[in-house]
Amino acid sequence: MAGPRKRYVCLETGCEKAIEADTDEELIRAVQAHVSEAHGSFELEEFILAGSTEVEPAP
Amino acid sequence: MTHTTAPATHDADSLRKFHFTREMMRGSIYRKYEKAINAIWNPRELDYARDLEDWASLSEARREALLGLTVRFFAGEQAVAENLIPMIEAASALERFDCLMYLSTFVMEECKHAEFFAQWHERVAGILEPEEVVPYFMERAKTVDPTGRFELKEVVHEGIPRYARELTEAVHVADRESIERAFLRFLTLYNGHVEGVLTMPSYEIVVDTCTAWDVIPTLKHGYRRILSDEGRHITFGTTVVRQLLAEHPDWEPLVHGVFDEFRGTIVGLVEYQKAIPELNLQKYQVGKVRHYRNRCREMGVTPDETLIEEILDPSIDFVVGVTAG
Repeated sequence: MAGPRKRYVCLETGCEKAIEADTDEELIRAVQAHVSEAHGSFELEEFILAGSTEVEPAP
Repeated sequence: MTHTTAPATHDADSLRKFHFTREMMRGSIYRKYEKAINAIWNPRELDYARDLEDWASLSEARREALLGLTVRFFAGEQAVAENLIPMIEAASALERFDCLMYLSTFVMEECKHAEFFAQWHERVAGILEPEEVVPYFMERAKTVDPTGRFELKEVVHEGIPRYARELTEAVHVADRESIERAFLRFLTLYNGHVEGVLTMPSYEIVVDTCTAWDVIPTLKHGYRRILSDEGRHITFGTTVVRQLLAEHPDWEPLVHGVFDEFRGTIVGLVEYQKAIPELNLQKYQVGKVRHYRNRCREMGVTPDETLIEEILDPSIDFVVGVTAG
């Protein structure tokens, strides 16, 4: 049975994109790619971990 | 294997001599300590040869613009390193051994960041002594908001030392709740406001400048290493603030009060935004808002939407001298 997924919501003004992944490492990669591509900026690993929540996987 | 027989009873004084518990070692603060130990880097082991080569080919105007950035960081790292002891005193007084362990790495890292700037300025720009770097340190004590709406205070060289003194006084003369309040205020100012919002665009500006000019790779690399350390510092502070607010939910106004006291500093443009013509000014104000929202989320407080509107208001364009650290 799959464990909870990790979820992070980008708080750039006007964005609020929700990104989900199975592990912290995947979440960090996905969020950093999003912030770089969508906002031309970067988000630190620790910020992503501190701002993420756990959500139950979709049935 | 020899087993020592445990005493049948546990003397309270003896128990207090031991701080390690499985719960503490599973906690988020202790994990930051572990990460910091695994992430130690040495400024003296970096290769400054390409930076030295690039420096020789940079125009005088670009050298001065870059030194305007790096010298403020150099001063800022030294200023914050001098004000860390009260956090350790507070952690000890509050019997937070996990915080004390993590803060041991925090202090070392801030000192090391200062050393990185010492190494870079000495090896690349050929300046190190106070009288050699001071000409590039832009004093902004007289910065004013032309609209008169915001009071501008010197947050790093006046605010942090004042909050540090308040924390020290609380530790030495007050009760637990007073220490917690002063600790929350200090963490909010240092890790939440200064490190977590105000200086984040400044780091990005230096990285973006080195990228735009395609020069000085070791300076950029050093900034990235420093940023990685700062990520732990900032989220240490916001995590402890969140923990304190969980015990005292009615203290959220204290967090907003700290941001309010230095509101003008955070609303104004970062000094460097106008120093490097290649940079997109609005990107850093928008980024500052993202960092502010992130810090509020980490601390568990509701963002001040008026503050956000003010940061994004293009009519507010006075430039604030920022000393990073």
